[in-house]
Formats: sequence, C-alpha cells, structure tokens
Amino acid sequence: MILPLSYNLRNLAVRRTTTLMTALGIGLTVAVLAASFALVDGLRLALEASGHPLHVLVTRKGADSELVSNFERRVFNDLKFKPGIARNAKGEPLASLEVVTAINLASIEFPEGANVTVRGVTPIGVELRDDARLVEGRWFTPGRREATVGRLIAQRYPEARPGRKLRFGRGEWEVVGVYDSPQMARNSEILVDLNQVAADFGREEVLSSALLRATDEVAHQALINELEADPRLNVRARSEKEYYAQQTSSGDLIRYLGTVVAAIMAVGSCFAAMNTMYAAVARRSREIGTLRVLGYSRAAILASFLLESLLLAALGGVLGILLVLPVNGLTTGIGSFTTFTEIAFQLRITPQTMAASLVFALLMGGAGGLLPAWQAARKEILTALREG
Amino acid sequence: MTDDVVIQARRLTKEYIRDEFHIVALKDVDLDVRRGEYLALMGPSGSGKSTLLHLIAAMDRPTSGAIRVLGADLAAMPDPEMARWRNRHIGFVFQTFNLIPVLTALENVELPLKLTHLKKGERMEHAVTALKLVGLGDRLHHYPRQLSGGQEQRVAIARAIVTDPDIILCDEPTGNLDARSANEVLELLRQLNRDYGKTIVMVTHDPHAARFASHIRYIDKGELLPEGRKPEDWS
Amino acid sequence: MKYLPLVWKNAWRNRRRTLLTISSLAVSLCLLGVMMALYYALFIGGQPTKSQTRRVVVRHKVSLTFPMPLHYREKIAQVPGVEEVMVMQWFGGVYKDSRDQRNFFARMAAEADKLFRIYQDYRISDAEKEAFIRDPAGCVVNRVLAERHGFRVGDRILIKGDIFPFDLDLTVRGIYSSDELDDETLWFNWKYLENMLRNSPRLAAGTFLVLVRSEEEVPAVCRAIDAMFANSEAPTKSEGEFTFGMSFLSFLGNVKVILMSICFAVTFTVLLITANTMAMSVRERVREVGILRTLGFQKTAVVGLILGESALIAIAGGAIGVLLAQGLCFVIRQGPLIVQQTKTLAIEPPVLAALMVVSLLVGVLSSVAPAVSAARQNIVDALRFTD
Ligand SMILES: Nc1ncnc2c1ncn2[C@@H]1O[C@H](COP(=O)(O)OP(=O)(O)O)[C@@H](O)[C@H]1O
Ligand SMILES: [Mg+2]
Repeated sequence: MILPLSYNLRNLAVRRTTTLMTALGIGLTVAVLAASFALVDGLRLALEASGHPLHVLVTRKGADSELVSNFERRVFNDLKFKPGIARNAKGEPLASLEVVTAINLASIEFPEGANVTVRGVTPIGVELRDDARLVEGRWFTPGRREATVGRLIAQRYPEARPGRKLRFGRGEWEVVGVYDSPQMARNSEILVDLNQVAADFGREEVLSSALLRATDEVAHQALINELEADPRLNVRARSEKEYYAQQTSSGDLIRYLGTVVAAIMAVGSCFAAMNTMYAAVARRSREIGTLRVLGYSRAAILASFLLESLLLAALGGVLGILLVLPVNGLTTGIGSFTTFTEIAFQLRITPQTMAASLVFALLMGGAGGLLPAWQAARKEILTALREG
Repeated sequence: MTDDVVIQARRLTKEYIRDEFHIVALKDVDLDVRRGEYLALMGPSGSGKSTLLHLIAAMDRPTSGAIRVLGADLAAMPDPEMARWRNRHIGFVFQTFNLIPVLTALENVELPLKLTHLKKGERMEHAVTALKLVGLGDRLHHYPRQLSGGQEQRVAIARAIVTDPDIILCDEPTGNLDARSANEVLELLRQLNRDYGKTIVMVTHDPHAARFASHIRYIDKGELLPEGRKPEDWS
Repeated sequence: MKYLPLVWKNAWRNRRRTLLTISSLAVSLCLLGVMMALYYALFIGGQPTKSQTRRVVVRHKVSLTFPMPLHYREKIAQVPGVEEVMVMQWFGGVYKDSRDQRNFFARMAAEADKLFRIYQDYRISDAEKEAFIRDPAGCVVNRVLAERHGFRVGDRILIKGDIFPFDLDLTVRGIYSSDELDDETLWFNWKYLENMLRNSPRLAAGTFLVLVRSEEEVPAVCRAIDAMFANSEAPTKSEGEFTFGMSFLSFLGNVKVILMSICFAVTFTVLLITANTMAMSVRERVREVGILRTLGFQKTAVVGLILGESALIAIAGGAIGVLLAQGLCFVIRQGPLIVQQTKTLAIEPPVLAALMVVSLLVGVLSSVAPAVSAARQNIVDALRFTD
C-alpha cells in the first residue's frame, strides 16, 4: 500500500541540485564522524595487532608502563629460569632483559619534535621479535653503537633513516637497518644494544622490563600467576597483548571531540534536510492531493516522504563515506599516556564505521524528514490541491 | 432510494469559515444521479460546482446535510476508509490533469492499482488496456512533459478509469484544452458512458461540452436550480 | 537602500525556511567559531599569562624524561638576569584508582621555599605557606583540585610511586589559588625526595624553573643557559613556560590538521546549507522576477535583491553563531585542564572578524549562481515558469 520507491528516487533526481547539496551537507557531517572513528580505530587496531600471545611483560610492581619501571638485573636473573619459559635452539631461555627510554626527534608531521621510544635489547630480545622482518640494512651488532629502527620511525623521522646518526646518551648511534613487524606498535621503536644504552644512561643494574615467551598458552597464564604471586620478586607480570590494549585510551580525546563536533554538525544538517523536505512537500502539494484522491492514505503519504528523506540521507551517508575513504591508510601519530612516546598508526575505515556512518546519516534524515512528512500527511485534500 | 440512484444528496450544505469570512459554497442541495447517467453541471465561476464534486468524491465533508454515494454515507465515513472507498469507486479528472511529473504515463495510470491486491503483471495489463482505450497505447513510457495537454488529460482519464470505478467525476476536464483536444476528451467520456455504462458527473463552463451529456443542471450561488432552470444572467 | 524593505520581506516570506536556515547556520558557525578560537589560541594568538612571561623551563635537550644533575642549579643561578632557580621533579605515581580520569593530576616535587617566589600569581595565606615550607612531608594543592577531591588542610594524601621506588605520604599544609590560571597541581616538598633518595643517583632534577628579571631578558637567558651546558653530559633546552606547555600538544595527535579539517568541513557545510536555501527560494520566485523585470527592474537590481537577502540571512546566522560560540567557550573553560589555552578560551576579536567575513562570503557566494541565472532568464519564459 505504499508508493513505489522509484517515485521517491525520481523526485530526488528531478531536484538534483537541492538533493546533492543537502546530501553533501549530511555527507560532510558523516565524514567528520567517520574520520574521528578512523583515527581511533586505526590506533586500536594497531595496538590490538601488537603483542605476542605467548609473551609476558614483566615490570616493577606499581609501574603502569615500561618507561617508569625500574627493573633490577638481579630480579631478571631470578626469574629467567622459571618453568614455563620457552627455550631457543641453543637451549637458552627466551627471556629478554630490556631498557626503555625516550628521545625527542623532529618528524615530518611535528617539526617541533615528538618523543620516540628507544629500546635496548640483547640478541635474545631480537630473537623474541622473530616476526619482524628486515626491510633494509641489517640488525645492530651487539657491542656497537648501532640502531635498527621500526618501519614507521624510518618513514616519519628523517633523522632516523639508514645511514644517518642519532645523538643521544653519550654519543652518536648509526642507523644500520629498518625492520617491519606485523605488530604495528613495534614499528614505532628504535632498537639498540642493551648494554651500550644501559651504560650510556647509567642503568646497568636498574633496567626497565623483561619480556618472556611461554612454551604454550597454559604455561603463559601459569607464568603470569607465579610471577605476580612471588613477593620476593615484587614484579607486575601481564600478557604483552594486554599491555598494548590498555594504551588505546590515547584515542579517547579524539573520539570525544569527533563525536561532539559531528553531533553539532548533525543539528545543522538536520535543519537543512528539514528545509529541503519542507520544500519538497510544498512543491508537490498538488501531487499529494492527487494521490489522496486516488485513494492513498495519510499513512502512505507520511511513509513516502519519510522514505524520501531517508533516501536523501542515505545518499549523504554514502557520499560521506566516499569523502573519507582517502584517509584510509594515512599514517599519523599520537602520544601514548602509557609510554609517553609517540605511537604511529594508520587510519582505518572499518566496515563498522561505514555502517555507523550510514546509520548516523539515516538518523539525520529521519529527524529532518519527520516533521515535513507529517505536514504532508496532515494536509487536507482540497487544500493540497489548491496549493502548489 | 432505489438501487438505481448512485448519488443522493439531501439538504447538502458546505460552508467555509476562514478568519472573518463566512462563505456558503453550497446551500441545501438535493440531487439524485442514476446509474448510467451523464450529468453536466454548469454555473458561473464560484457558484459551488467544484465543491459539490468534491463532496461526492469524498474529498471533503459537508457542513450539514446528507450525502450517500453508492449506498455509503460519506458524512459518517471514517478517514482511512474514505481513502479506500475513493480508490475503489471514484475516478476523478482535474482541469489541470495533475499527473505526477516524475512518473511515466504507464506508471501514472498504474498508481491507483498499487492500492489493490493486483499483482505487478495484472496491474501493467490493466494500465496498458486503459491507456489503449484512451488512444495512447503508443505513449506508455512518455513523461507528462513529453505529452500535449490533450494527451495528458487522456492519461488522467485512463488513470481515473483503470480501477473500473462506478462513477467518474470531471472538474472542467476541457478547461485547459484547445478545441480539438477538448473534443477528443469529450468523445472519450461519452464513449465511457455509453459503452461502459459509467456514471459521469462533469462540471463545465463550456455549453459545447455540456451538450455531450444526457442532462444539464445549473448551480447558482451555491444553490442547485431545478431541472431546466438556468441562472438569470446566463447567456 | 530603498530595497531593504523588499529584501527584508523576501527573507521573511517563508518564515519557517528562513528560521531553519538561520538556526542551521548559527549552530554550524558556532562550531566553526569554537574551532577557530581553539586554533587561534593554540597556534596564533595564544598569550602567556602575565607572570608566566618571566618564567623559563629548563629541561634535558633529548627528552623530558631524562634527568639533569642538581648542581646545574647553582650554575643557572649565575646567569645574568636570573632571579631565582627552583628544582622540580615530576613524581607521577598513582592516586587511588588510576582508571578514574579525575585521579590523574600533576604531582610535582619542588623546593618549598622558592615555590611561591617563582609563582608570583599564587595566592596563599602566610601561615599555610610557612607550614608547607617547614614540613618536609607537606604539600600544597590548587584550590580547584582541592574542591574536586575534597582536600582540606591537615588531610593526608597517599600516592603510590611508579617512576620512583617509594610511595608518598603527604599532609596538606595549604590550599593555593591563582590570579591567572588554576593549574590543578599538587606540589610537595623537595625534601621528601631528598630524604627518600639519599645518595641515590636518582636524586636529580626533572626540570629547573627559572624566574627571569624581566620579560625582555628571557631569550638571552635561555640562550645563555643552553650554551653553558651544550657540551656537558646533559645538554639542556630552555624555553618560556608557555612555549614549553605547547610542546605537549603533539601528544594529543595532529591537532593542527584535525582542527583545520573540521573548520574546512564546517565551512563547506555552511556554504551548502545557505546555497540550498537560496536555490530553493529563488526557484520559487522565477515568476516574480519576471514580473519585477516587466515593471522595469534592471537585472543587476534583481541580482542585488537576491544577494542581499542571502547575506542578511547568513549574517543573522553568523551573529547568533558567535553568541552561541561564546557560550560554548564558557563551557569549555569550565572543563578539565588539557592545555592551558582551553582555560582561557574565548572568541577573540580576530576570530570574531573572521567569522563575520566567512558569514558574509557564504551569503554572497551561495546565491551568486541562482541570482544570476534568475536575472538572465527571458522575461516571457520567467512569467510562464512553473515549477
Ligand atoms: N477552501 C475554501 N476556503 C474558502 N472558500 C472556499 C474554499 N473552497 C471554495 N471556496 C469558496 O466557495 C465558493 C465555491 O467555490 P467552488 O466550488 O470552487 O466554485 P466553482 O463553481 O467555481 O467550482 C467560492 O466562493 C469559493 O471562493
Ligand atoms: Mg471550480
């Protein structure tokens, strides 16, 4: 009992300028929301993809992050032979003592400089990062002042490209290679030799953390429980995945800003849609009357105009998604409140974001179309026929 | 009331009250129209002809009086039912055609059928038949703006008859047409009345058009004059 | 100007549409105003507060997280133009449940006797100040922070250490407020760190806060300090406190690009909204334009009438938008301290001017096309036009 969809589609096509302008307004609103989601999702996906499922990160008890953790070598020596830790071909436990610090580098995006994580590791530490693939150069040589940097570091910081020298600690460090890890957050780190960097910063005995690989999932949990429970060690042990996951809160402010801005813009777009639909109702007044004469009910008229508004909004939603798609894959950085350094990540438009954008657009269309559709349905036949 | 009387108005009155204006558009109209009749309503502009037609078509409600069409008491009919009733029993033809500009001729004619239980194929069949009947079998996919006025009005007539209504109401159907197109439309209406037995009430200004009808009644200042009487200053 | 009544009448002809357009513009321009105000405050016109202009922050050149030796303090004090040097250290730590954002506030160690000499905008009673200086485990708390958490003088505050291997057990000795900016900070006595880190290499300065004799001498002092330590174990970077605050901005993501994108999107939306309204209202009036032209109106007059109408609507929207934006700025000022600039956010005159220019441009640009095409139309066609 409702009017055909093609009727609405053609009416939208006839008023194509108005349709496009209104839809584009809705589209821009949707784009703002989708872009902020793309930032937040990109960060979240990068962090979710980080951390090895069998890895356990050990820090000093009370330390939320590696940067603020003081982890003693003595403690490391106490725990590296705990049962449940996997071993490499040579029979050494896959336990890596690491030191983490931050340096300030000028990036393309932030010429004033951003903090970057520098991580000192031993050869075992490199072995634990076996999913990282060298894309350029080589790994640093233990005992030398050399650095191998993550892909995003090389991409974003001109000073940290292979062949260049970084200045921190007690001298210069030559960048000798670039690695790419499927664990996105790792690509924002600079890896150097543990003993060299620890000596530079006077941290030979007090380092930052230990990274352990468990033999299997059961051992993983058991290891965490055991380390946490040992009062002598006084450490905090958690799965590496969990450590990264907690850092997503950096995106909260952007999510908040994006949502508030989009909500305010939505009010404007909603009014604009209302204007367009009122004009449609006014212009088609005689048509409405005629349809009623033909036997269409008020409900059918209401449904038809509401549908038209929803179609208009859906078009806007699609336009908005198209507008925002080019940002997909762009790389940007945000500060992590856990590591106090920058995490670089790629913006991601997820299917969920697209769906949410479309729903958001439809909400605008529904809110903007309801009153005009109601007005159309309420018209008396004769009044309708005389107008227009 | 015999079965034969399809439209019956008794003391039918319609008043318009708008701001300070109080207009009596129709006053105590008594009217009987029999099945198969072709009635022409004439009268000066503003005399209430359209108002009467609108009341018969259940497009509006009377201020007082009774109006029964095809046995239904229109004054008492609830709103949603009125819509269904109009769709089933009434075909309405406007002076200004009122086709939907974004729909083709065929789609315009199909429109009232969408409210019935007919399937898509059947609807198309009926619509094509109606358009062929009005002589537009070759213009099915034309949009209103691609048609002449006469053709537009014939599409409107096809739309009015496609549901096979008992009564066709025409409000100055030739008012916007040139003489030739007007004749085509009038021929068509006569054919519908003669060959298909449709009851037609046609409002017109044009004495030539009125001659196509079987009776002529005059309305003056909201009053329906007795059979055979014309308004005093009628030419 | 004799056309003004006609322009006015035209604008009011479809009241609902005009009102909807103006509301829509007002809401969007309010948003644009706030975004521009933020951009202006952060990147163009943000001004240090009066007492801030004389304060310089000295930090490790490589990273804020690297400490500097305490003996730098004496060397810095020797630099001409330096009135006072204070050692500061960010303690970090965890207060109650760290998942609650409200529990995340600055906790800094500083030399108690110097704190109020360097922060000349701080207001505190002499008795409270003396009590703070005397108590090696004492702290002072900003009024806004104290109100939020219900801290009173004499209360104990426990903070678990994370960067530092010990916990703080502090007693509130005073509540201070500021003439300029409530910084929502907890300051505790430097002696606490000294006592806990006796003989440890960890006892070092996070930053030095320097009070310079006059604003004019600040650049020279910064240069002198950095030059002095350029070749030492810990090279420094000195900058005005305001500039130093800005360096945290990149932490929030690429704020510049984000703000600019939003401004762009909003401006374009506003343009679309107005253009749409004007297109609709001109379209409904083609026949009238024909009549006007029949009566002898020039094409330019017709264009002027339409542009005028659109400009009128846009400026009305802009004016209401500015008022709304002022309101929104007020709300933001009450919000949490993210960067210093949000605490003083307002629509400054340059932003106001920019907003009005945007409104006017939007008004004109949005209606040029429909106005010109309406005026150009052949009179006879216009008179016969049906929509
Ligand atoms: N909706 C209305 N409101 C007020 N007056 C109306 C309305 N419809 C018709 N009229 C008045 O009623 C009278 C009859 O109108 P109408 O039936 O349209 O005359 P016509 O015979 O020309 O078709 C006229 O005076 C007209 O002005
Ligand atoms: Mg009439």
